[in-house]
Amino acid sequence: MSQEMLALLIEALWETLYMVAVSAGIATVIGVPLGVILVATSRGHILQNLWLNRILGYIANATRSTPFIILMVAIIPLTRVLAGTSIGTNAAIVPLSIAAIPFVGRVVESALREVDYGLIEAAQAMGASPFQIIRRVLLPEAMPSIVLGLTLAVISLIGYSAMAGAIGGGGLGDLAIRFGYQRFRVDVMISTVVILIALVQLVQTAGDRVSQRLNKK
Amino acid sequence: MIELKNLQKTYQGDNGSLEALRGVSAHIRAGEIYGVIGKSGAGKSTLIRCINMLERPTTGSVIVDGEELTTMPERQLRDVRKKIGMIFQHFNLLSSRTVYDNVAFPLELAGKTASEIEAAVAPLLELVGLADKRNQYPAQLSGGQKQRVGIARALANRPKVLLCDEATSALDPQTTHSILELLKDINQKFNLTIVIITHEMQVIKEICDRVAVIENGLIIEEGTVIDLFVRPQTATTKDFIRTIVSHDLPDIFADIPFSATPSPGSNLMLRLSFIGTSANEPIIAGLIRRFNVDVNILFGNIDHLKATPFGTLLVEVSGEDAAIQAALQYLQEIELGIEVIGYVARNARTFN
Repeated sequence: MSQEMLALLIEALWETLYMVAVSAGIATVIGVPLGVILVATSRGHILQNLWLNRILGYIANATRSTPFIILMVAIIPLTRVLAGTSIGTNAAIVPLSIAAIPFVGRVVESALREVDYGLIEAAQAMGASPFQIIRRVLLPEAMPSIVLGLTLAVISLIGYSAMAGAIGGGGLGDLAIRFGYQRFRVDVMISTVVILIALVQLVQTAGDRVSQRLNKK
Repeated sequence: MIELKNLQKTYQGDNGSLEALRGVSAHIRAGEIYGVIGKSGAGKSTLIRCINMLERPTTGSVIVDGEELTTMPERQLRDVRKKIGMIFQHFNLLSSRTVYDNVAFPLELAGKTASEIEAAVAPLLELVGLADKRNQYPAQLSGGQKQRVGIARALANRPKVLLCDEATSALDPQTTHSILELLKDINQKFNLTIVIITHEMQVIKEICDRVAVIENGLIIEEGTVIDLFVRPQTATTKDFIRTIVSHDLPDIFADIPFSATPSPGSNLMLRLSFIGTSANEPIIAGLIRRFNVDVNILFGNIDHLKATPFGTLLVEVSGEDAAIQAALQYLQEIELGIEVIGYVARNARTFN
């Protein structure tokens, strides 16, 4: 493989990492509170609000049931507003984040539901406010599961980011399509696939480690 | 210390409503250990949760240390709850925190500084005997140790009341005993009012001063533990007592027919209960001398209700029919728990 090709690969890898990291960050910042709200407002929970719970649930489901490739195209006007353009890595971050937010919301929701309600009751008996319960009981107790959920989200984002490449988002997916597929460069195709596999392995291993470290059960 | 007035709690479900409490009133005095015993579904869990408003009663009033809680806004209630400790059947410790941090948790919620927390937590760990486990996680502890952490945590805010929700039900008998000893100890040391709900008569017997028996959402019997043991009024109470004081007759009586009324030449079978000082009086000897009857002791047992000795005797009284009746009358007159099991024909006995 030529020096030039290698430089392209490294640049594409960097773009992928950038897209995934930024959109995972955004998805976490919005998705974790979303998951918390989905749990806390559910029936019989500390901040029961069925109306809000149902609306957020519908939105999350609607976003998740739209195939990513369609979502990406459908929200191009929004992408233009937020990123100033509809092509390039920055533009790809918008649909990636929007797809990942409800995903993170749902995995955080299921992680928080695993927390024994007895712990919430114990905290209430000690005079904890709903906010204190979320901050000091629910999130720390669910942290090992949340980390595993976020790991899953990052891996999904790596996959989605390759798709984003197909509409000019840059990154490894873009490289694989333009060089590997359209120019019959088998070596490029194989290289990108190997890099993606390695990346996913790395993320999964790191996520497992962190989760295990946090789990004191 | 705690005043419950006509508490009612109705749960609205999809298949109609469920009345968990149907008008419970009780007065729990400062410094006493008050037990509530009932079978599962009797309403005891709901009752204890109403004391700190984890469950809001449908109607009725809950007054703790002079403050009415049922009408109190949530924010103010949180401050009151800090003065009411609670321990649980399944301990409910935070698995992500060490022993030390679990005990520190209520103090953190109350906004105490790290040095205040250290000053409060260290002696509590000493008190419950876990000073050497402070940096371990709950998963590394035994059930009894977990409950000790639960107790230390419940005491962290120096509460006036401690609520125990089936606190020993998940523990083996020895561990139960040691936890009860600890509760007795802190009851005396801090003059702490303790409310215990349980389905185990053993718990009531070992540490309670007074007890209420709850069934179908109502208190069906209440009194000192001694009264309840000596003169149980309801079948439910008798069932509970039977779980720890055997009321079964020895096997040799299994096939012998008893009759409720005396017939000529029959022997009287009695169960006698002795409490405290009466356990020291020579009642049996007096019976034999005064009425010229024979008293055959078939079964005897001595036990303790908290610190009070409590004995039961199964006896067979034989002699002249009139003498037996006179002896029975005498026993019924003196302050003694007595239960007539029945009369048995003298020749029906083959074992003596």
